[in-house]
Amino acid sequence: MAGTGTAHLHTADEALLRLENLVVEFPVGRTGLKVNAVSGISLDVIPGETLGLVGESGCGKSTTGRAIMQLPRPTSGSIIFDGNELTKMSGDSMRKVRTNIQMIFQDPISSLNPRRKVRDIVMEPLMIWEVGTKAERAAKVDATLEEVGIDPKRAAESQPHQFSGGQCQRISIARALVLDPKMIICDEPVSALDVSVQAQVLNLLEDLKAKRNLTLIFIAHDLAVVKNISDRVAVMYLGKVCEVAKSDDLYARPTHPYTDLLLKSIPVPDPTVKVLATKILGEIPSPVLPPSGCRFRTRCPFATDICAKEEPQLRDIGGEHFIACHHPIEHLA
Amino acid sequence: MRYAAQKTAQFLIVFVIVTFGVLVAMRLGVNDPARRMLGGTATQANIDAVTAKYHLNSDYFTQYFYWVKNMLTLDLGRSEIFSTDVRTLLRQKVPTTLLLTIYAVVLALLIALPVAVLSAYRRDGLFDKSAGFFSFAFVSIPGVVLGILLLLVFSIHFHWFPANSNKIYPWDNPLQSAKNFFLPTLTLALPISAIFTRLLRGDMIMTLQSDFITLARAKGVSPQRVLWRHALRSSVFSLLTSVGLQLSGLLGGAVLVESLFGLNGLGQMLLESLLRGDLLVIQTATAILVVGVVFTNLAIDLLYAVVDPRIRLARALG
Amino acid sequence: MTLITDTTSMTPTPLDVPPAAEPLPKRSRSKIHVGFWIALAWVAALLLMAIFADQLSFIRLPTAAVKNHGRSTAGYKLGPGWNAWFGVDSTGRDVFSKVIYGARTTLKVGLWSTVIGLLVGTFMGLIAGYFKGTYDRVISIVVDIMLAVPPLVLAIIIVYRVGDLQQDRPGNPGILKWFTRTEQITVVLSLLAIAPLARIVRALTMSLAQRDFVLAARSVGAKNFRIITREILPNLIPAMMSVAFTGLALLISAEAALAFLGFSVETGTPTWGKMINASYRDMDKAWWATLFPSLVLFLTVLAFNVIGDRIARHYDIREAAL
Ligand SMILES: Nc1ncnc2c1ncn2[C@@H]1O[C@H](COP(=O)(O)OP(=O)(O)OP(=O)(O)O)[C@@H](O)[C@H]1O
Ligand code: SF4
Ligand SMILES: [Mg+2]
Repeated sequence: MAGTGTAHLHTADEALLRLENLVVEFPVGRTGLKVNAVSGISLDVIPGETLGLVGESGCGKSTTGRAIMQLPRPTSGSIIFDGNELTKMSGDSMRKVRTNIQMIFQDPISSLNPRRKVRDIVMEPLMIWEVGTKAERAAKVDATLEEVGIDPKRAAESQPHQFSGGQCQRISIARALVLDPKMIICDEPVSALDVSVQAQVLNLLEDLKAKRNLTLIFIAHDLAVVKNISDRVAVMYLGKVCEVAKSDDLYARPTHPYTDLLLKSIPVPDPTVKVLATKILGEIPSPVLPPSGCRFRTRCPFATDICAKEEPQLRDIGGEHFIACHHPIEHLA
Repeated sequence: MRYAAQKTAQFLIVFVIVTFGVLVAMRLGVNDPARRMLGGTATQANIDAVTAKYHLNSDYFTQYFYWVKNMLTLDLGRSEIFSTDVRTLLRQKVPTTLLLTIYAVVLALLIALPVAVLSAYRRDGLFDKSAGFFSFAFVSIPGVVLGILLLLVFSIHFHWFPANSNKIYPWDNPLQSAKNFFLPTLTLALPISAIFTRLLRGDMIMTLQSDFITLARAKGVSPQRVLWRHALRSSVFSLLTSVGLQLSGLLGGAVLVESLFGLNGLGQMLLESLLRGDLLVIQTATAILVVGVVFTNLAIDLLYAVVDPRIRLARALG
Repeated sequence: MTLITDTTSMTPTPLDVPPAAEPLPKRSRSKIHVGFWIALAWVAALLLMAIFADQLSFIRLPTAAVKNHGRSTAGYKLGPGWNAWFGVDSTGRDVFSKVIYGARTTLKVGLWSTVIGLLVGTFMGLIAGYFKGTYDRVISIVVDIMLAVPPLVLAIIIVYRVGDLQQDRPGNPGILKWFTRTEQITVVLSLLAIAPLARIVRALTMSLAQRDFVLAARSVGAKNFRIITREILPNLIPAMMSVAFTGLALLISAEAALAFLGFSVETGTPTWGKMINASYRDMDKAWWATLFPSLVLFLTVLAFNVIGDRIARHYDIREAAL
């Protein structure tokens, strides 16, 4: 799949965040080779929206999220947030802008410094920006902790390892919220959690979003998780976007062969698409040497010659539904 | 190939900086290096000749250039203080140190291999626990102490080995040579054998847990046999890397061991030239030790690159 | 030899292999082992005796010959016994009290050089591991250079040349005279510690810098200095505590090796290595004068190694890092 193209984007002033032709490459040691982690994707998010980003492990979802934060800066492309071109911004102004976009990570253990008290972790952003007086900061931290359901007293005394995975994610959410950001990038926030806890954390995110008027990018490799929380979903494969559609529409009319395969794997109890997709489709190609033309062609059941030669562009198939494929799946009306 | 070129360049940089540093360190603050090289009774003609030969009046870079040139043409100069050619001196001393180091590595492997196999096979058993205990002790024991203890027990108490090992080469008198080299070798080998044992044991425990042992077991091959067969093969690179890393320490240890057992090698030559203040010989001896360390490591790296480029490609392709 | 072999084996990771090691907080921390307490007791006893040697009545001055039945003893005339526990040495001095006074020098030199090595090595490793790129390349070459010269050889050459420069020669007056022998040995030993420590810290820093909490700190606006001091350094501390003890053990061995080879602190100040050097040729006549300092040296090095090892296990630091 290969989607390049910008047909699916809203107008610039409608979007809170707009990525155009974003490319992120990493050198492979000193071999001269490079990992093509993200290869020219375009996406946008309108205020108050939740955009889901799905795809197999290694397709570049986290890299996209980090590139938005300029951590590290992307190789090329444009990122406009709230009217500012982030890629051209100096380090210092970027530091300030970044507080408007926060991230929540997949691994609850790794996201919290194991050698600091939880309350200090949540306090840290306020300390860095020297927000308010000491008392005001304390009040804000305690309020935020309570908002996510963590007892501030316990947080003041304990280190991260004394909390469960779900609680750690709540702490991460509190840290992200404490600077009152406009947008939160949730990088697989629940995939490391027990299924019973997942729903709680997802509900918390939805509540917070409504209450604080947040805009979310919600990354997951599990379409089932994304389905309920997202307004729109973008499907990624090997550093490219292959399909973008309203959530319901995507599930009703998966038109890209890859999306279709991903959806077929949902009902299986094993939640990791990675395992399933690998079983169905064989190994994912390396992002170091991606296939020519459509990157999905090595695993696509419908691939033809043109797929190897020409990279499909994202195009409108009606109803704000965009796909990048030479042979889309036909749906009977 | 790129990799090999890069590695070689990197090693050359290290080598040049180190040998240049040694040259500067030897000549820094010496007003009359030629007189220092020749000793007190030198005539002015001699002094001039030596000054010209080593370009001692020029800056250090020129001196270094000519030093390298002399090294490459094997013109190592003459040590007035030892009153002999440095080349002759080296021909006498280098084989001793070389033999000592090689013996030590081989002996260490001979000890480590069976110990590691038995340890891994009955992990956490009595043998494994005691081997672990001894490994810890041998890694901890200072070289001086180990040498002293071996001397005290095997040489002074039992008279099995000479206390003063006056070097005798195996091609002259194999038995006496073995006797003379045994204690110094053991002193050098035991600590490394402990390091090898830990390394091999870890590798083998991993091998034992891998699918392919399960497969072998299913086919009825005993795990111990698989271990023996695959032990060295799968660990050969980690062992080689370890040897490379130990080499610098090993050669430093050789200086100590040679001194302790009166074995007349490169280390002894270095110490003697320090005592007599022969800056030329100190520089040459140090350079040879550095060449040994740097180029062995380079060789190991290149071997790794040649024998298994697939490892790196696989890593690159993730 | 143990000494150097281990200095290098502290990092079996080649420089361009991504580090696997990272200290993870363990939920159920392992019980502290009896060996740890024995080691600690040994070190504490030695330290106390060394500090209060002048006040303790059972420790003689190491400068006066031992009196036996009212007469001064001569060379090796008294073996180990009630009068002199470890016997007397070639000059009739009490080996036990020399061992205790030797501990003073050895521990002082060892501790200082560990502290200096730790400070410099940690700084280098942090910079290389955190900023990567050019910093890393330069620091890695410096480390490679330091590791290319056999440590013992590096040490003796430096001490020799400093001593050489201090001598007055015709037309060439000595310099660096303020630099005492004890200081030289301390500096040289800390040099030996820097390269391996820098490697370890570099590897640990690289792996810590990839953790999400560092990314989180950066995304809330923390600057590099704050990230290094608040996020990375605190997480290095458990590993550094362990490495400090292991390093101390190695430097004490190195100090003994240097002293044995004749490169030691000022004459008149006893150290274990010096005592061994002075008496080992007479082991056939008087084993005690060599064996006791050797054993005390071994037990001390072992004790520091046990302490370092136990700390590592306690914090579940993977062996790969060490
Ligand atoms: N710092 C880096 N250096 C080199 N390669 C990297 C780096 N970060 C990511 N990659 C590579 O880029 C590709 C995309 O990685 P990314 O983490 O964005 O995937 P992902 O979609 O988030 O996967 P997952 O579901 O496993 O989190 C992968 O092949 C990864 O190995
Ligand atoms: S049909 Fe062709 S273009 Fe469409 S996904 Fe398959 S390979 Fe890609
Ligand atoms: Mg990810």
